[in-house]
Amino acid sequence: MNVQVGDSIPEWVMESVRPERMRTMAAILRDPNPVHWDRKAVAALPFGLGERTINQGPLGLSYILNMLMDWAGPTSVRRITMRFPKVVLDDDYITARGTVTAIREENGERLADCDVWLAREGETPSLEGTAIVVLPES
Amino acid sequence: MADIQPPAEEIRALVGYEFPGGKYTVAHWENFLLTECTGSEPLPDALVHPVVLFHMPILGANTSIGGMFALGQAESDFSIGIESYDWEIERPLHEDVEYTVTGRVTEADRMEGPRRHDRPGVYDRIQFRFELHEPEGEFAASSTITWTYRRSAA
Repeated sequence: MNVQVGDSIPEWVMESVRPERMRTMAAILRDPNPVHWDRKAVAALPFGLGERTINQGPLGLSYILNMLMDWAGPTSVRRITMRFPKVVLDDDYITARGTVTAIREENGERLADCDVWLAREGETPSLEGTAIVVLPES
Repeated sequence: MADIQPPAEEIRALVGYEFPGGKYTVAHWENFLLTECTGSEPLPDALVHPVVLFHMPILGANTSIGGMFALGQAESDFSIGIESYDWEIERPLHEDVEYTVTGRVTEADRMEGPRRHDRPGVYDRIQFRFELHEPEGEFAASSTITWTYRRSAA
């Protein structure tokens, strides 16, 4: 795999964040927080979010994982560290993006250090962080 | 949920707290549904989607999201904020493998000032670290969760 520092990782798009996926996720996670499944509970918060449920943090993170796995393979992600400056809401159109910041060898593997983020078009990131990815040899 | 601000020393004393620990096996149905929620097709070779590193360590350590809220004496579900998630994957996770899970509190402190993109005020910052080991004892993955617990004025 020919990768250079400064390369952009092919973006991964979630065209519409779906509330039913948040509900399934809440059940799997045993997550009692109603912000993920009760629009009226979100509207009652003092954040001006309207009647839209808030995507679970790990789900937003998963879009970035999908981008990295589509790029370098399903076992390529070694580490991901994410912060969550803004929430992702149901019906958002949101895109995962990344760039390669360094390439190095470690224990016989070629690793790419990456900056990664998730953002609505024209906005600052909702999630931002770093990842370490094992690059395939071919 | 707590309705008064807990003493800062109670929060700081959480450092070192260990969850009971236990075992967790990801079944195919769970991985299928979880992966579908991410918008991805199922991964090959019974690989578990790495997004499992949020809930699997928590449940495998014999706690829960609600239990972690309660441990930090959260005022409500709405008072919790995410500072960061840090996941390390040394060995890819697979369906139908019984992983051993441990978890503990690694940092806990009272803070004052604005949380990121939040109103200024008092909050507690609590960090949890979970580790997964394969049945033969090899380290497989870790999850470090750092949450903030917003506090009302005392």
